[in-house]
Amino acid sequence: MAILEVDGLSHRFSDGAVGIEDIQLTVREGGFTVLAGPNGSGKSTFLRHLNGLLTPTSGDVRVQGVSVREDPRRARQLVGMVFQDADSQIVGETVYDDVAFGPENLMLDRQEIHQRVMGALVALGMSDMAGQRTHLLSGGEKRRLAIAGILAMGSEVIVLDEPFSNLDYPGVRQVLAAILDLHARGRTILLTTHDLEKAIAHADRLLLMEKGRIVADGPPDAVLSKTEPLGVRRPCAVRWGRPVESWLS
Amino acid sequence: MAELTAFRYHPGASILHRVDPRFKLGCLIIASMGALNGDAAALGLWSIASAALFAEMRMPLMTVARELRYFALLILLVVLARTLTAAGEPLIRFWGVALTRQGLIEGALAGWRLGLVVMLGLLFMAATRTWQVKSAVESLLKPVPFIPHKRIAAMMGLLLRFIPLILSTARDTADAQRARGIENRRNPVFRLIKLAVPLLRKTFLDADRLATAMDARCYTESRSTQPLFARGGDWAFLGAVCGLSFLALSLPCF
Repeated sequence: MAILEVDGLSHRFSDGAVGIEDIQLTVREGGFTVLAGPNGSGKSTFLRHLNGLLTPTSGDVRVQGVSVREDPRRARQLVGMVFQDADSQIVGETVYDDVAFGPENLMLDRQEIHQRVMGALVALGMSDMAGQRTHLLSGGEKRRLAIAGILAMGSEVIVLDEPFSNLDYPGVRQVLAAILDLHARGRTILLTTHDLEKAIAHADRLLLMEKGRIVADGPPDAVLSKTEPLGVRRPCAVRWGRPVESWLS
Repeated sequence: MAELTAFRYHPGASILHRVDPRFKLGCLIIASMGALNGDAAALGLWSIASAALFAEMRMPLMTVARELRYFALLILLVVLARTLTAAGEPLIRFWGVALTRQGLIEGALAGWRLGLVVMLGLLFMAATRTWQVKSAVESLLKPVPFIPHKRIAAMMGLLLRFIPLILSTARDTADAQRARGIENRRNPVFRLIKLAVPLLRKTFLDADRLATAMDARCYTESRSTQPLFARGGDWAFLGAVCGLSFLALSLPCF
């Protein structure tokens, strides 16, 4: 069943520059999709349409059959977004406060908020960090906190914009493990990267973007051969003709 | 990232930690007014009360003092300005400037007042979490007509949250400029401009990203807030501060 339907989506910026052009896409529930492309290919612009942060010039996005344009608040609840810069999306003074930010915006009662916050922190392995100040967290912990924040809102689709950027090896492993755990629990994952190495072993679909358009779409094995002409490096294992290994193995 | 500012919450269970933030904010206003208008006796009284609260909170005083060294510099400048500009009976003259007895007293009092207000602010911030400050401001502004109390409270909460990040960015920018030899430039205005422009640009960009991230998490002004409950202890604390205020006013002037 399709959870996201993108129909003829185009976006032009105020200076006339093309952000994305005529994107046609369906994402099935429970899938793990990697969206790759060089800088400036339109990945982040595309993601911001999935929960109504940007309004398209033409076309439409539907989340569980309802247009984002008609009900952006519902779309923002169902499509949780983790941004590239973790520092500038954390609003709470402590880990608990930050995870509670989303449920508080949904006007839930305090008991429900507490349950959701603790549930999200347990799911991300951060329950013992609830009282910790957010600006003292490591890069990987901040990224996991951002994921917990959207999980507490009850998001069905987790959209991650370059989730591994600026992370060391343990940080990448922590974040990847958290993403895989959410996927195993039935969440739909859509993540962007220009470094396929870290996530492609777990994806069931790879999309390539260039100049605002989706130029390749399919199972990773079928699409990986097309990446390098588009400015995205193939994983080392593929270059050597071996199967891609998980960073967690 | 290390601890960046003394003006932050220090977890604890002291008397001040337990007081309702609305009462704490009211007491901070009363005590600050008392400190700004008091003479030496009143300042002494407020200082003793503040020191007692500091001791009870078990704050790491040396760390706090080290982090407040820039405030100390500011206070020193104020003391110097008051000392050298007040009229009165000259004690010493140098380069056409007279150091007067009255100037010395006024300078010392001005420095004491300012230092005390800084310490009171520090006590408040150390014992109050950001969401409590936000809820207190929201609650106290609610009865005032035509004031968007929720928006003001949200802005205050975000400002408090982002002070450490702004300081961290300022430090990174200054380090990057030192690495490129900014210290060879003697003109402080040039150096200030070179620091301020990238710092402001980064701060505004971060603010823009934050607004987008808040939108993505369904931000609205009518959101659930943490309820505040006033208890007997809060009224007793307010009563004690009011009592101190009356006592400070009734003390003979020196």
